[in-house]
Amino acid sequence: MKLSRRTFLKGTGAAGAAMAATRFLSGPGETLALAQAQGAPVEDYVPATCWIGKQECGMVAHRVNGRVIKFEGDPTNPRNLGTLCPKGMAQIMPVYDPNRVKTPLVRTNAKGQPGQWRQASWDEAIEISAAAIKEARDREPSIVLWQKGRSKSKYVYDEAVTETLGCTKLGHGAFCSDAGYRAMEYTVGLKGVLNPDFKHTRFVLAWGWNMTNSGGNQLCWITWPRQMLEARDAGMKIVFVDPRIRGAGPYADGWLPIRPGTDLALAQAMTSVLVEDGTIDQEYLVTYTNAPYLVGDDGFFVREGDVPLVWDERSEKAVPAGSSGASPALEGTYTVAGAKVRTAFEVFKEHIAARTPEWAADICGIPADDIRNTAREMGAAASIGSTIVVDGKSLPYRPVGVMAYHAMQQEMGFQATRALAQMLMMLGALGAVGGTLSTTKWEIDSKYYEWDAVEIGDGPYGFTLSSSKYFPINSGSTAVAATVMNDPGAFDVETLPEVMILHMANPVVSFPNTETIKEAFSKLKFTVVLSPWLSETADLFADVVLPAATVEKYEGPNSGSDTYIDAVTIRTPPMDPLFESRGEFDIYVDLFDRLGLLEGEGGFIHHINEQFELEGKHAMPTDRMPTARQILDAYAKGHEGIPEGIEYFEKKSSTYVKGPIPAEERYGYAVSPPFAGVLHRFYGESLLRYQHTMKDKGADEIFWRDYTPLPTWRGLTMDDSPPEYDLYLISHKLVEHKQGRTSFVPLLKELTGGQQLDMNTKTAEARGLQDKDWVWVESQNSVTGDTRTVKTQVHLTETLRPDTVSMRHGFGLWTHPEAQDQGPSPNTLFFTGPGYVANTADQSFQVKVRVDRADEG
Amino acid sequence: MEACKVENATPESSFFMYVFRFEQGEYPASRISFLPRPCMHCDNAPCVKVCPVGARYKREDGIVATDWDRCIGCRYCEVACPYGVNSFNWKDPEEAQYLDWKDPVITTATDGSIPPYRNPALDEAYGPEQRKIAGGGHVQGVMEKCTFCVHRVEEGLDPACAQTCPVRALIFGDLDDPDSAPAKALQQRESFTLLAEAGTEPRVHYVGGSPPTEDARQVDAPEVRV
Amino acid sequence: MATHNATLSRQARRSPSAWHLVVAVLVALVVLGIYAYAHELSEGMAVTGLRNIGPMGGATWGLYITFVVYFVGLSFAGISTAALIRLARIDRLRPISRMAELLTVVALVLAGLAIIADLGQPLRGIVNLLRYARPQSPFFGTFTLVISGYLFASLVYLYLDGRRDAWLTEQTAERHRGFYRFWAAGYRDTPAERERHDRATFWLAIAIVPLLITAHSTLGFVFGLQVGRPGWFSALQAPSFVILAGVSGLGMLAMIVAAVRRRQHREEELGVEIFKWLSTALVILVLSYLYLVVVELLTNLYTGSSRERDVMSELLFGDYAWIYWGAIGCFVGALVLLIFRVALPNLRGAVWPVVVAGALVNLGAIGKRYLIVVPSQTKGTLLPYDEGSYTPAWTEFALVIGLISLGVLSYMLFTRYFPIVEHPQPEPAEREEAQ
Repeated sequence: MKLSRRTFLKGTGAAGAAMAATRFLSGPGETLALAQAQGAPVEDYVPATCWIGKQECGMVAHRVNGRVIKFEGDPTNPRNLGTLCPKGMAQIMPVYDPNRVKTPLVRTNAKGQPGQWRQASWDEAIEISAAAIKEARDREPSIVLWQKGRSKSKYVYDEAVTETLGCTKLGHGAFCSDAGYRAMEYTVGLKGVLNPDFKHTRFVLAWGWNMTNSGGNQLCWITWPRQMLEARDAGMKIVFVDPRIRGAGPYADGWLPIRPGTDLALAQAMTSVLVEDGTIDQEYLVTYTNAPYLVGDDGFFVREGDVPLVWDERSEKAVPAGSSGASPALEGTYTVAGAKVRTAFEVFKEHIAARTPEWAADICGIPADDIRNTAREMGAAASIGSTIVVDGKSLPYRPVGVMAYHAMQQEMGFQATRALAQMLMMLGALGAVGGTLSTTKWEIDSKYYEWDAVEIGDGPYGFTLSSSKYFPINSGSTAVAATVMNDPGAFDVETLPEVMILHMANPVVSFPNTETIKEAFSKLKFTVVLSPWLSETADLFADVVLPAATVEKYEGPNSGSDTYIDAVTIRTPPMDPLFESRGEFDIYVDLFDRLGLLEGEGGFIHHINEQFELEGKHAMPTDRMPTARQILDAYAKGHEGIPEGIEYFEKKSSTYVKGPIPAEERYGYAVSPPFAGVLHRFYGESLLRYQHTMKDKGADEIFWRDYTPLPTWRGLTMDDSPPEYDLYLISHKLVEHKQGRTSFVPLLKELTGGQQLDMNTKTAEARGLQDKDWVWVESQNSVTGDTRTVKTQVHLTETLRPDTVSMRHGFGLWTHPEAQDQGPSPNTLFFTGPGYVANTADQSFQVKVRVDRADEG
Repeated sequence: MEACKVENATPESSFFMYVFRFEQGEYPASRISFLPRPCMHCDNAPCVKVCPVGARYKREDGIVATDWDRCIGCRYCEVACPYGVNSFNWKDPEEAQYLDWKDPVITTATDGSIPPYRNPALDEAYGPEQRKIAGGGHVQGVMEKCTFCVHRVEEGLDPACAQTCPVRALIFGDLDDPDSAPAKALQQRESFTLLAEAGTEPRVHYVGGSPPTEDARQVDAPEVRV
Repeated sequence: MATHNATLSRQARRSPSAWHLVVAVLVALVVLGIYAYAHELSEGMAVTGLRNIGPMGGATWGLYITFVVYFVGLSFAGISTAALIRLARIDRLRPISRMAELLTVVALVLAGLAIIADLGQPLRGIVNLLRYARPQSPFFGTFTLVISGYLFASLVYLYLDGRRDAWLTEQTAERHRGFYRFWAAGYRDTPAERERHDRATFWLAIAIVPLLITAHSTLGFVFGLQVGRPGWFSALQAPSFVILAGVSGLGMLAMIVAAVRRRQHREEELGVEIFKWLSTALVILVLSYLYLVVVELLTNLYTGSSRERDVMSELLFGDYAWIYWGAIGCFVGALVLLIFRVALPNLRGAVWPVVVAGALVNLGAIGKRYLIVVPSQTKGTLLPYDEGSYTPAWTEFALVIGLISLGVLSYMLFTRYFPIVEHPQPEPAEREEAQ
């Protein structure tokens, strides 16, 4: 990190004289004079870490006299390589925002309405919060709810904090891809959705990847576009699968304008083309998946003892899977013990035989030829059988990638992701060089095993409905929990949460459905909010607001990897926290101290030591109150082995680069054993098992219908809305507002304006609507009959399907003066109840709406 | 756009760097494209020619500079420029800034600088001619525009936009030096200049792609608030 | 000296209350204008409707520049008529000579004030325009040639031309004699002085003619040399400016002559002859102007680039069509009226059609000046910015109305205290006799 001190060209005397002359001609107060300390300003650069998004880009804070005047990208950080996105660049403004919460606040009026507050000391605010948490926790720890927003310092917050409290933790999932995660955890064992190996890929399906405007799998916005453009310069082709092409910018080589929510059908139609053409990586399917397992008429594997059987082509008989010397058949129907059995792949072949491009054309609204051609292009690009040498290792080379992330947050998200994974399995592209990856390192998540062995109980269930007959595989979604809280009886739930710690999240606005969340939160007895701003949720429901610092604090560690180079970042403050704000680390240390949960065995420090894998001399003493700096110093020294400890991050760089991720850690084929020894669940036998149990326990079809061993298309819930709800509504992201905390940043708000309803020009013409006309948008829940309405302005575009309208993610805030009058959030219109969320209890961002002309304003 | 705004502490709705977002064609053959628009720093700059007081001038190094200490605010440069790059200071610079930075809670934390991220280097004089041409001042009634971040360039740094561009779409350097990055890019790939027919001889070249067509429609234009 | 006695006494007989009322209203309007300007100075030009071209979708030049161009145009007819009268010795027009000169002076002062009003940094403007003057800038031409040189020449002309009348007035005036004496500056109306004066104004007139053509062309260049503004870049811009200047100036002159004729009961001196000449000149100029308009229209619609066509179609059919067709209507209406005046027996020789025509062409001229200034900025961006718009704010209207009021007020005050109609020159015989 360079540290430069610049001497300014002029002494202050001369500058003063020049200023006086200027004043004469321009009138007083017209130049923005800086009240400077005597002498030349001292200019320096110190490390910092971006705070606004999910990928913690490295930054350099440019300071004058200790005041930060600009954040620039840190060139040493592999993710952003010295650059920053508009959000990161504009972050300087919210840091100094006069509308930040400046002191702890305690509510003085009733909840459920805009808050009235009195300022409190930290001591008092922590005391009040600790008392409320303690009271509830002493009765039942799980009724304390910890809700986070954007993931940061996962080990400390998500793990150490929640473990210390023993509370219920809710994933953020505001616009995440929980369904995609669950599908990949279950199918491949990786905690991630799908992303291409851009360094080696030749053909990419940008599946709902709003590539010029939002993030993708694993990383935020800034890294993927750079890698995509580099790959494109090297000759990669990219086909865009999205109802709107806006997000592709000028970079799409093809566009499949898919109807919202029909991704599963499209993926299967493309897979059927591959199967029909025989474009199949037989070796992969036989060796690394359960596709050769024999399936009986009942849909379950045929077993010998606990071990499923395969058909050995050499001995022409069924043998236990994994038998040495066996040559399992991928296809075929056989007779075992007098019963007709088929391989799982055979079942799949029959399952998708009718799922042709022609079949999908009607469902997806894409010409069959386009589907077939794209599938064939992909099949050809996969060059099945080829290999490539990477890091001295000869590995399968399948240069076809899929980027699928936010799009999987849909009604059939879990199975749609599985359908995509199956498509890639045909090509052997999962984990291949140039193929499709899911995580930075091929490390198996414990959920791979857990989701296969869910014990569905009889109730009463916890309010997240995990292990329930409703959502046995479970994302712990706030939206679903809120639905449950509003009608616990309908879900066999007795115990509801009473106390909530809201950590940098704003569920009332950022989660669907606004009304449901509000109703649920009004039932909470106590809510403490950690946030730099008075969020809308805090405004309505907080009892205590604790002002968190923004970028000016210690926080971490976070990954700094761009998926090719391994790196770790730790946020260090480029200046002291403004006002009376404090970093969350310090707040939690205080809170746990007050709760008596800081020190000793099972205390917060103990849990941090565990999470950071700090042992022996590196472990923090559990009998002493640490500062945030000390915690991270222990991590830097003990976990990362950085001799300077935290000073490295304070003085040298925001990012500690560990070096390239070797092929052996990165590619599924290259890890030892390949794919870390787990078998890919091509056929989801346990899903069928759950379906049976759910039925047995009396769950409605709406819950069990998607628990099928193979992804199975069905009509969408939203399509059952009455015909006057004739348009599909989706929401899309703008790079400026990818996060919730942006629309009140004037610099970002200026770039985009507020909410609008994108509508195809022809659709608008048919309705007599013109650009900027005001309209009511009304959504309808086909299950409950509920409707929700917002008012916004039409924006005509040619880049959107005619049967689809789209609103911008975000907006709808009201507490910050700059955020008002930006129009509603589309989350008001989406539903989260049964039928509208995937079978894994997450969220969806698609609904049928009607659009009617409204009066102006 | 944001890096420029922060670096130069420009007032609301003032864009030294502006990025067009275009929509072209009809569904389903429609496309989006982007076009960054800094000042073109023309060799034959109409704005320099019309300035009645020589506040707008061409520097030795090719930068078209605005001396905000001399400008009289006639806005002739603005009507003369075919690219719309000029930005007039319509009101008091403290009022023109985003948010109320005069809040005493803020000013104590920020040395009284308005806005808090204002770089004092903007107020210095630059070049052998020692004139006030960096993006400073924002003096009421005075014209300004993209300076190519002259205060950074004189320190050997790239302009803020080029420094921050995540996809390295902006390359800055000396076109007269055949080894410079932009000169090389121009040799390797097709390029065009904006409104070449106007004869302004812009020093900003667009590599790859093509100029916006006649049917280009701007979408998502920034919100205007003065 | 009966004539000038009569002039002043006739004025005195008019009801002073009406005159004072008008003056009071005008003063109030001027004060309003000053208030608007003070507001603009303190708050910045954000209080105008002006905004940046392109990203802000506005016009950076608006009503002020419209009226700068209009005022300068008015000045054209004044001094050129006066010069013409002197050079061609058209004695029958001599009575309107001073009105024309005064029109020029007043219009130029207003133009100068309007420019100052349009500057973001007026104080700097006055200093820097001189200190750092750049002759390459067409704006320099406007400021130095038009406003300074031209105003100076016109003032000298007015001064010299008025010395005789000043001396004559001083002889009989009951008040303000010092003022007349100061103006006369020792002039005694001796034949030698008269002769010397005549020669001086003659040569001055000769000098003014090319100056004024250059000056008005320069103003045209302010717009016409700009490649970046569709609708501006045109060789026709300069001649159009000159001719429209003539149209508006003569029209204004016609109105002034009629006003003076009526107020000062000078039906004989300001006779039908004068109106006939004004009317004929106006017809010729309006026809020439309309010719240029048609030529420009055809050129732009036929061969113009798409952006030129866009701007033109905005004028013809778009947001600005009502102004465009309104202005054309004014010109054509004036033309029709003037032709009827000749053709219809009961209108023949009537004064009012000339006055109405004068008013119409001035309205039309203001409209056309507005259309030259504004649409090329709001609808004429060469890069595909969103379409812009411009609506003048109350400050701009107030300031312009204040300026116009100031002009009218100055004119009224001048005519009250100085003979606006020249005392008849002695007959040649009388001259010889005096020699």
